Amino acid sequence: MSTDVALRDLGLSTDARDEPGVLLGLRPRLRSWLWHHRVSIVSLTPLLAAVTVVAGAGLGRAPAPFDDEGTYVAQAWAVGAHHQLAHYTYWYDHPPLGWIQLAIGEWLLGPLFRSAHAIVVGRELVLVAHVVSAGLLYVLARRLGCRRGFALLAVALFGFSPLVVEWQRMVLLDNIALPWLLAAFVLAATPRRSLWAAAGAGLCLAVSVLTKETFLLLAPAVLWQLVRNSDRKTRSFCVTAFLTTATLCLVAYPLYALLKGELFPGASHVSLLDAVHFQLVGRASSGNVLSSSSVAHRTVMEWFHQDPWFVAMSISATAAAAWVPRLRPVALAMVIQLVMILRPGYLPIGYVVAALPFGALLAAGALDALASRDFGRRVRRPGLRLGLVSSVVIVALVVSIVAPRWERGLHSLNTDVSRSTWAAEQWIATNVPRDSRLIVDDTMWLDLVHDDFDSRESVVWFFKLDTTNNLDPSVMRMFPGGWRDFQYVVVTPSVRQSLADMGGLTPVRDAVANSTPVASFGTGDQYIEIRKIAVAPR
Amino acid sequence: MHLLILLALVSLSLALSAVAAATLWWMLHAWRTPTALRSTGFERGRDEPCRSFSLIVPARHEEAVLGGTLERLATLDHPDYEVLAVVGHDDEGTAAVARDVAARHPARVRVVVDHNWPKNKPKALNTALPECRGDIVGVFDAEDEVDRRLLRQVDTCFARTGAHVVQGGVQLINFRSSWYSLRNCLEYFFWFRSRLHLHALHRFIPLGGNTVFVRTDVLRAADGWDPECLAEDCELGVRLSAYGARIEVAYDAALVTREETPPTLLALFKQRTRWNQGFLQVLRKGEWRRLPTRRQRMLARYTLAMPFLQAFTGVAIPVSIASMLWLKVPASIALLSFLPAVPTVAAIAFEAAGLREFCRLYYVRARWSDYVRLVAGTFLYQVILAAAALRAVGRELVGARGWEKTAHVGAHRAVSVDESDLVPAEVPAA
Repeated sequence: MSTDVALRDLGLSTDARDEPGVLLGLRPRLRSWLWHHRVSIVSLTPLLAAVTVVAGAGLGRAPAPFDDEGTYVAQAWAVGAHHQLAHYTYWYDHPPLGWIQLAIGEWLLGPLFRSAHAIVVGRELVLVAHVVSAGLLYVLARRLGCRRGFALLAVALFGFSPLVVEWQRMVLLDNIALPWLLAAFVLAATPRRSLWAAAGAGLCLAVSVLTKETFLLLAPAVLWQLVRNSDRKTRSFCVTAFLTTATLCLVAYPLYALLKGELFPGASHVSLLDAVHFQLVGRASSGNVLSSSSVAHRTVMEWFHQDPWFVAMSISATAAAAWVPRLRPVALAMVIQLVMILRPGYLPIGYVVAALPFGALLAAGALDALASRDFGRRVRRPGLRLGLVSSVVIVALVVSIVAPRWERGLHSLNTDVSRSTWAAEQWIATNVPRDSRLIVDDTMWLDLVHDDFDSRESVVWFFKLDTTNNLDPSVMRMFPGGWRDFQYVVVTPSVRQSLADMGGLTPVRDAVANSTPVASFGTGDQYIEIRKIAVAPR
Repeated sequence: MHLLILLALVSLSLALSAVAAATLWWMLHAWRTPTALRSTGFERGRDEPCRSFSLIVPARHEEAVLGGTLERLATLDHPDYEVLAVVGHDDEGTAAVARDVAARHPARVRVVVDHNWPKNKPKALNTALPECRGDIVGVFDAEDEVDRRLLRQVDTCFARTGAHVVQGGVQLINFRSSWYSLRNCLEYFFWFRSRLHLHALHRFIPLGGNTVFVRTDVLRAADGWDPECLAEDCELGVRLSAYGARIEVAYDAALVTREETPPTLLALFKQRTRWNQGFLQVLRKGEWRRLPTRRQRMLARYTLAMPFLQAFTGVAIPVSIASMLWLKVPASIALLSFLPAVPTVAAIAFEAAGLREFCRLYYVRARWSDYVRLVAGTFLYQVILAAAALRAVGRELVGARGWEKTAHVGAHRAVSVDESDLVPAEVPAA
């Protein structure tokens, strides 16, 4: 063809040529990434290993199994075993993504974790999330401009505070949501400022909210981080990417409820709006934190006693970080958490979890800012390096005073406070006929199901016997005789606590009142009693 | 059977999502990072002009706008160029206007008479090609408002990049003329501001109809434009891409060529039919099969079929959602049918962001009513695009390949902008 010849003379032809715009292959890219981050990798890896050991060793011994943990592992079991969101009617108590993730984790990593106790397996999975959180905390600290040493300090504070270790061990939705929230922050602070990262931040935020709904309150902080980090010319597109991704993913939840006909309240079914109303308004308030008799006060004081240093450090660092512009969005996240803790109303016991990494990050970040040259210049004594001196002093103080306390705290987290629970389970498995009916708390339920008690007929969550703490009437309908339909009630610390803190729960109270102990385990806080119910002839 | 229907619906949902997501991602190509956005403009600075240009302006029954266009083209700030106005032998009115301007600028403007019959744009361009004396051939339409600094910037671009083709930005401006003009303007905005850069990166590009500059030797070697194609611009781009031509795309709000939206909905519908049919012709002609890499061929197939995919998705998404609800499938699967709506809704949100950016670049203050019009017009506009796509297929099947010319009234020269809407202008990037 003459065209071909004419164009070939001009250097144009249809011959194969190198594909345009092709990047390096995967392997060289990985190699260059590893080389570029070698110092971080070498310094962070041993630290994360230490964090894993501290959080992981003894997670089956302390803290004592907690009711909510049992709830989530049981619902994860329902997802895996029955492909349902819960083994009782799912009543929109929390969005389901948390225990769906647990179920996926168990499906993927199950062979690695072979504890006999379902809660311990759950804790091992949460440990994975914890280590990921610690790693992401390092990346976030670096992206917020902290020097490497201070970023490592943030990870160390987060990894070794007894307060963090205790709460991060538990199977709480907050612990599963936390790495997603940190990932959202990390992506919002990306140095390339790409549109993908903004959309990714929205996605991660949505996943964290669909894991634990309270994380929605932190959305403004993530958005601020994104806006601060973005370029003026692409900002509106980045913000749009973030907001649309987050919103469209979150909409899936009410849409799911709508498709099931369970969005709006109705006489014969549970509904999302009922559940939201219950969580926001219907729940008994935990009282004012400042009044010493309130549940909220007790919860907060418990956190404080676990590690007063960490709490004091986080709060003072939050105030200090207000002077460091790059730390302000994270400080906002911290402030939101503090305000929610101080406001009167229902205070979930695990609420502290989402504040912990930010406390560690702000403390390390504030020290980093203090030790920087800028600070010396600002106080106009550049020769003195006042900031550096004071930060060294603070670190020395922390090491000399806090470290021994933390060591004691961590040591006490290695004492076995779960023994009575496991012993009670063992006793029931050996001595109680499988056709009996038992009122149990959520911590034991799944283990007893694994011991061949029927998940619907034999073992029943004590909460489900009335609607004090849930909106699912299906179980009550199954047992029209109330407590009289049961042969045993297992009084655990969480049953005692609920009976003391809440009104209602009448069937459980009656069961306890009309029963006699047949076995007991542990002492003090960990005291567990198995009681046989004596039904008076009607 | 039920399972089969379910499976079909699920795969339909996934396919629709993939199409919508790909379209969305390509629409946002230029904004993917700040660095990427900066690279989409002309390079900074202007070198000494060292090339000569021949600017071809085909005109047909456009005496209302041609005079102004030629006057403006005659006073660009480049030292070495000529303007060739191509008029039909049967169109005395337009020819008179062109001769009038040529008489005032004898050194710059010449009139070429096209005797072909039936007439269309590629034939007019081919008539002028042998007359061109410049190193570079540029094409403008009769209603174009061209920036005086453009040519020197294009000259610099050729010099610095060694490109064979340079495509400048074209922008519809009169976004408040009618309900559909806003969407039409935004389509141009996303196409020239963003999408074309993706095509340049992958070296497969359907060129635009004007503000396109091609080396004269390359154009002559390629035998000019395809005289029978309804999208001669796209066809040329695809053909040159197949030969590995280096094509630069540069968008600079200060230098874009300003145009107007079609004056009536019917005109828009006909114009879109013509383009779609043109894309279809290019797809059938198959020059794109000679593209060297599989990835380029995939991109070509997808791009040329895009009007039809777009029409199809616009109709299929509501159908798929409705059928899922009607079939009463499990909630989790029904949820899947909403997946294609995600990129679709996201696209509307990004169009709103684009509108904001568009108004910022063109020094107009966006009003709430503009955003409302944008969202409210989405569905109807989609329906019109779908109808145009179907009509294009129909016309191509029955072999109706006549050129339905778009009329021009000059609405872009009197953009209805209130005084209060004007915000202080930034210094142009050039």
